[in-house]
Order: sequence, then C-alpha cells, then structure tokens
Amino acid sequence: MNGVHDMGGMDGFGKVEPEPNEPMFHTEWEARVLAMVRAMGAAGAFNIDTSRFYREMLPPHIYLASSYYKKWFLGLEDMLVDKGFIAAEDVAAGHAVQPPKPLKHGKFALADVERVMVRGKFGRAAPASPKFKPGDHVRAKNIHPATHTRLPRYVRGHVGVIERDHGCHVFPDTAAMEAGESPQWLYTVVFDGAELWGADGDPTLKVSIDAFEPYLEPL
Amino acid sequence: MVVCTLCSCYPWEMLGLPPVWYKAAPYRSRAVKDPRGVLADFGVSLPKEIEIRVWDSTAETRFLVLPMRPEGTEGWSEQQLAELVTRDSMIGTGFPKAPGAPS
Repeated sequence: MNGVHDMGGMDGFGKVEPEPNEPMFHTEWEARVLAMVRAMGAAGAFNIDTSRFYREMLPPHIYLASSYYKKWFLGLEDMLVDKGFIAAEDVAAGHAVQPPKPLKHGKFALADVERVMVRGKFGRAAPASPKFKPGDHVRAKNIHPATHTRLPRYVRGHVGVIERDHGCHVFPDTAAMEAGESPQWLYTVVFDGAELWGADGDPTLKVSIDAFEPYLEPL
Repeated sequence: MVVCTLCSCYPWEMLGLPPVWYKAAPYRSRAVKDPRGVLADFGVSLPKEIEIRVWDSTAETRFLVLPMRPEGTEGWSEQQLAELVTRDSMIGTGFPKAPGAPS
C-alpha cells in the first residue's frame, strides 16, 4: 500500500538524532510490547508480514506521531481483534472478558522464549527456475497494490542491475494477506543514484533493494 | 550504509535491538536519497569521490558493514581489533575507533 511507512526519499523529517548511551528500552511497557508481539507471533496468531501490514494500516497521523513500540502495540491490538483473539470488550475492560480463542501452537511457556527470539527461516524450495541472473538489467514494475508489498515507491519504474540471487523466499505480498507463502526468487537489485533522484542527486550514490521476482520486468 | 525504509529491519541477532534513530523517520527517509547528509548528522564526512552504497533491507535478508581496518593496527589480534569496532561502524554511519582513542 502507498502508505506513510514507505518513507524512502521523503523530505521534511529533520535531522537524525543519535542518543548517547541509549538504553535498550526507554520505558518498561516497551519491553512488554516487544514480548507480547513475539509471543503471539510464535503462538501462531499471525506471521511477520501480517504484523507489518497492520502497522502500515495505522492512520497516517497516528503512524507518524507514534514511537516504534507504540506502533507495535497499536498494530497488535488491531490484528488480535480482527483475528478474533481478543474482543473490543476485552480491550475496554483491560482484561479478558470473553473466553479466549485457542492458539494454533498451543500455550506459550517460558521455555519457548529463547526459541521465539531467534528469527524464522524464510528460504523455500524453488517452484521454478529464476528468470534473472546477476548482471541482468531489470525495471522495477510500476505497481501500486493497495495491500502489503515490499517494493518501495522510490524505485518503481526505475532501471537497476541484478547483483545477487538469494534463492527462493516466502513472498510477503501473499503471506501478509494469509494467502499462502507463494515462494518467489529474491534478488539484490542496484540502482544508480541519478536513476532514482535525477540529475541533482548524489552522483556517487548507489542504492540496492532486495526485490522479489514478481516486482521486476526484463528490459 | 544499511537502512530499512519500509519498517525497521535490522540484524538483531548480531547487533542487538536497533537504536531509536534507526527506526525513526529522519533516517528511514533520508538514507537512500541523501546519505551524505545523514553522515553529517553523525559528524562523519567522506571525500566527494568515494562511492556511497546504501542497502535497503526490503526482504528478510539482513546486512551489516564490515568496517575498514584502521591504520596503525598491523599485527593486532582479533580481540584487539574487535575492541575498535562500534555498532554504528557496522550500520555504516561511523568509522571504527582509532587505535589509542578513548573508548
């Protein structure tokens, strides 16, 4: 979706502000939100792409005004209500009012913590041969799906070069909609700064994205 | 320089949880268009002829930068060299510490 989350190339957000000796969490609830999201994902309530899509669907003014963990919290709440794991009445009461919906992977226990903090694996067996190889020139498609995609706006319509073939991976565009993993070839594609940002862009800049095969067309 | 313009993808297993600035709009918006401006916010400037490469982490592949070996570290052990490496030098927004610099 063409949301405010797709920030590459936008102006006006000001300077980057590094914080010396930054703590891991700035408040206790941030750690709790991180734990809740990881636990519910591990319990099978949603996949990582669905959770990203719910954060992207936050209203733009909410998204832009919320901290990272606030976005995680709001996205989690919307997602759990939509998937029927909690009800609006539970949220209003601040505790479970309705009987809980069973989780796909059963009860989440303390012994699961270490396992769920390790990243999932996203590589999959290839259903077909790759269409592209390193060195090929490709164009990022000019597509604007209203649902989840990992093709950022700033590369759409632009020409780049395949640099690396990462093999086949879960396709976020379908996984986010719970429409299957639909594995696709994944490539690192490099774009010249001038191709993306025009003659006024930094002539020494090269930017790469990781692009799934359906995002690309041959030249 | 490594960024995630769409959310905040970051090599957690290697570098820990990302700092707030990595997840915030100024870095996510500018890294792909004006990386030299971003570097200036970190007090870093590079010669005009140096190519800048930005990796936007748009899939589940995670990236980190292998920092340049500082001058004056010939013959140093792996452990000595590791002490010069900073988190930001692996994101690509800073250099490793110089030999003898305060830690």
